[in-house]
Formats: sequence, structure tokens, C-alpha cells
Amino acid sequence: MPRTIVTPGELITSERKKLGSNVHMHEGRIYSTCIGLVEEGTDFINVIPLEGRYRPMIDDLVVGIVTSERFGGYGTDINSYYPAYISRKEVDESLRPGSIISAKIAKVNEINEVELMNVRVFYGGEIISVSPVKVPRIMGRNNSMLDLLKQGTNANILIGKNGRIWAKGGNTKLLEKAIAKIEREAHMENLTNKIADFLRAENKGAGAPISAANGKIPVEQTKHADSRSMEMSEGRDI
Amino acid sequence: MSKKKEVLEYVDKEGKRTDGRKADELRAIKIEAGVLPRADGSAYLEWGQNKVLAAVYGPREVIPKHHANPYKAIVRYAYRMASFSVPERKNPRPGRRELEISKVSGEALEKAIFLERFPNTAIDVFVEVLDSNAGTRIAALTAASVALADAGIPMRDMVSGVAIGKISGNLVLDLNKHEEDAPDAVDMPLAVLPNSEEIVLLQMDGLLKRSDWEKAFELGMTGCKKVYELQKSALKKKYEIANGDEQK
Repeated sequence: MPRTIVTPGELITSERKKLGSNVHMHEGRIYSTCIGLVEEGTDFINVIPLEGRYRPMIDDLVVGIVTSERFGGYGTDINSYYPAYISRKEVDESLRPGSIISAKIAKVNEINEVELMNVRVFYGGEIISVSPVKVPRIMGRNNSMLDLLKQGTNANILIGKNGRIWAKGGNTKLLEKAIAKIEREAHMENLTNKIADFLRAENKGAGAPISAANGKIPVEQTKHADSRSMEMSEGRDI
Repeated sequence: MSKKKEVLEYVDKEGKRTDGRKADELRAIKIEAGVLPRADGSAYLEWGQNKVLAAVYGPREVIPKHHANPYKAIVRYAYRMASFSVPERKNPRPGRRELEISKVSGEALEKAIFLERFPNTAIDVFVEVLDSNAGTRIAALTAASVALADAGIPMRDMVSGVAIGKISGNLVLDLNKHEEDAPDAVDMPLAVLPNSEEIVLLQMDGLLKRSDWEKAFELGMTGCKKVYELQKSALKKKYEIANGDEQK
């Protein structure tokens, strides 16, 4: 059954239920607070958002771009409300503004200021930006969608919860297309099968062999991607 | 000079207005959500001859930093009229009128947003009036509300508005420029949160009797609900289009 779309302030139910995310109660009735899909259980109610920004949560894996050097650490753009902080102790090599990193969120305080840990630096590759609320769809249940994308495009993929996807090698053009398709159709059913068909058709059309687990496609060097990721960081220094 | 004074008739015997509308009829409204790819949320609205473009950015860092409030987000609403939006070229510099409208409309939106969830941040709303024909502040606010929802900012409710007026003794909904320029026109913009019926913006130009005011308010509330339905369907339509693509 297709889920119903609700808008902010729209009445979802007058029954008493546990409040999930993106709902609020007013005079005993439950309303949505954002545009999204209703997820209703016997005793709870939830709205899965279709739009929105990334809200940092502890233990999330994020992909960030270093924007500035600060006293004892670095300021990093993680697509949240303000730059996150990396202590110099957390990184083995020195970072520069423009460096691409992935990290785990170590701390979030009351006003959403973030400290990062487990920092890993990336060289090369591409960053694909998506809407953070659609990241669960791009990963899929038990990473089913992610496995499909990895298999279909032969790329190394790392998905940050903040809506940045780092990819290197394989068919990144196709990956971009597939991710755009997922984003556009995130509110629809049976998406994994659709994407599987899409990848199969695209791979056949390009004359590339359908990548089995051991299918070998020459890894493209994405020099162009490097320059693009540098571009993204320019002009963001504060 | 004994020239006979011309009497203008704004509502004829059949209850029709000069543009053919009934007293409680809105002008044609068209809303489209998500028109600007680089904004977090956006909307384009046509309300009769009014054309309005709204963009929302944020919640994001406040610059300058001393404007930030550590308890809640601040809303920065900018209502601007393009210099070509009126018959005679308008000075593009924001004047007294634009600053006032920006202030009251921003405060109206604040009532709808859960500001306390985003401490130390700013939500920027930019509304540009591209073409105007009376009722632009309400058109701008209606578009801004759709843009906020499109940005995924958590809200208690949408903000819907309409203007009510009185011309030559007749209460009418949603005045156009011709009606607003009537010598005895009273113009009352109203914006509400349609589910709780809370008033978030109410201004009045002219005078109304108490009994008239009550009737006018009722007329306005029904008008706001009609606008609210259009806002809702505009937001949902964005996702229906993607569905339609799939069927092809």
C-alpha cells in the first residue's frame, strides 16, 4: 500500500499513539511537522521526512571538507549548521583547507556543536551531494541498495550520514545517475528492484560487462574529480 | 464647474465585481514548490497578476555572530519588490514599506516554526515580488510558507493569508489594484495558522464598523482555508510529478 504524503500541520490521527519523529501533539491530536510519508504502527506514529537538513547525531559517520585551521585542530564543513571541530590528536597526518575526510561524531552538545573522531583522510575520488534525509534510502535495508550500487558500478563508495557520498574508481558517472534516480524516487515503493533493473540496462547499453563479484572493469582515474572537490572547498574559508 | 460627479460601481446588482468575481471569490492562484535548485526550499506563486518568488536558506550559521540567539533560531525575512514590478519604476532600495512588511511577515512565520530546535542559527527567507497588483504582502507570505515546508523546516502549521476589503459598502475578499484604489476602500490583510485558527498577521488600512469587522474576519478565515488547500496540493504535487514520470 502506498504511504500517504502529509504536509506540515496536517492532521495525521486523532487517536492516542506514541509520538515518533517529525510529529507533534496539539489538543490531543497528532499533526505532522514536515512534508513526509506517514508510518503508522498499532501504538506509534512517525513521519519519514522528504526534505530537511542534516542534524548531527552521536556515532554518525560523516564526510567532511576541512575549511580552516584553528588552535589545536581544524574546522570542518560537515553540511550541518556550523563547522565541526577536529582535534589535532585525532589525525596522524596534517590536514589543509580542502582536505576530504571521513569521521565519526564523538560529541554533540545542546547547541549542535560537533567534535569528530576516527578521522580518515581521502585522496582523489569524487563527492556526490545528496539530501541527507534520503541517505537511508541510498543505503537500503541491511545495506542492500549500497551493495547493489557497489556491484553495478564497481566503485568504492562511502556514504556519510550528512548527505555526502565519497566514491572512487569504477563507473562514477553511472553511480551519479543511479543516486540521482534514488533521490528523485525516494518516496516510492520497490526501489531496490527498480535500481537493479536500471543498472543492468545501463551496463548493457554501454557495452560494459555486467559486473559479477569478480567482474573486472578497469578503474578510471578521476583527475577531474580531484579538481572538483578542491573547487568545492574554495571560498568557504572563514 | 458643474460637471456631474462620476459614481463608480464596484459591485453590481447581481453581486459581480468589476473583474467578474463574486464577493467571496479569490483570484486565480498557482503555486509551485521547489523551483530553485540551489536554495534549501523555494516556491513560485502567481496570485491573479501578482508574481512572487520565495527562497529559504537554513537553518545556518548566523553572520554577524552577535545576532545569534543561543535559545532559538532567528528568522530573517526579506520582502523586496523588483523595480519593474510596478507601472512606474520603483527605486530598488528597500524603503519604509518593505522594511515594515519584512518585519511583520517574519514575525508571522516565527509563530509557525519550531525555532527552539535550532539554537544559534538563522533561517533566511527571501521573497522577491516580480509583478504586483495589490495583496503582495499576503502573496509573499503564502509563498514563503510553502518554501519553508519545501526546505523541510519543522513547522506547527503552514501560514496562509488573504486580504479582505470593503468598497462602497460591500465586503469583498481579495481586493485587486483597481478595487484597492477606490476612494473609500478599506483593506485588511490577514494571515492565520489554518488548523488552530491562530492569527499571525493582521493589519488594516481604513476603518470598519465592529459588525463589519466580524463579518470581514469570517470571510477572511474561509479565504485562508481555501489558500491553505492550494498550498498543500502544491507541496504534494512535487512528489506526484515523480510518480508520473515512472508510469511513462
